[in-house]
Amino acid sequence: MAKSLMIVDDSATMRKIIMRTVRMSGLEFERTEEAGNGVEALEKLSADPVDVVLCDINMPEMSGTEVVKKVREMPACADTKIIMVSTESSQELIDGLMADGANGYITKPFTPEKFQEKLSPLMN
Amino acid sequence: MIDEICFSTALLEGAQEVFETMVFMDLEECSEAELQIEGDSLLGSITFSNAIEGCLAIRCDLSCAKVIAVNMLGLDPAEEISDEEIYDAIGEITNMVMGSVKSRAATETGELQVSIPTVVRGQNIANSLGDRASNVVVKASADEEHLIEFSFLYRDSDG
Repeated sequence: MAKSLMIVDDSATMRKIIMRTVRMSGLEFERTEEAGNGVEALEKLSADPVDVVLCDINMPEMSGTEVVKKVREMPACADTKIIMVSTESSQELIDGLMADGANGYITKPFTPEKFQEKLSPLMN
Repeated sequence: MIDEICFSTALLEGAQEVFETMVFMDLEECSEAELQIEGDSLLGSITFSNAIEGCLAIRCDLSCAKVIAVNMLGLDPAEEISDEEIYDAIGEITNMVMGSVKSRAATETGELQVSIPTVVRGQNIANSLGDRASNVVVKASADEEHLIEFSFLYRDSDG
């Protein structure tokens, strides 16, 4: 069972909305973290890895695409699942992210059911 | 130049999808074109570029912006909410409507690169792109109570 979750998004409001939607989906995590950009996310992950990362793509300082590549270079995060959460929906971009090591993709706008569908298989 | 009706439909349908899913409000297009947003308003904008360039914008008055933010965050209407949270919510809604419009119009526009959204406050504020631009405007009422203006301002790219 996955026990820890990190939400990476430059919008504090969107981080709250994602957290609320995850709770509404019925999924439970013992520990939740937030990061406002990719650099902060990598710093937190290197100190204390999590089981699941929900990551935006279009962010200042470091894009979500770059975050995926960097996390996959971190041995401590070898088992961390990365789900991208973004308004971007081009298949080419999604394929590229999956090739780089992302484990799934959720398009904004989203519903609690979508989080349930994408996260549940990763939590066992 | 791409048909304006294409963007008008994409704008309304994209906005309806986002508002129903994330703001829990029903949007209906207003037939009364003369309806105006009075007083101070928030304008959320996001630029795009590729075969066409321009910006998508959402404008509403302050009370409507607050309702949008409260609904998105799942707060009680009586709860305190900061201006920063309201601006952030309008920026995120703008971003999501752009994403929704982008995927609906992709066949006509090709892949568009988009910026990070910005939000400003003022009276009678609007974006401008010069004489060669086309502007598609959709006015909608949210829950039959609030007026929201969506605009898609664009022109063919020089390059």
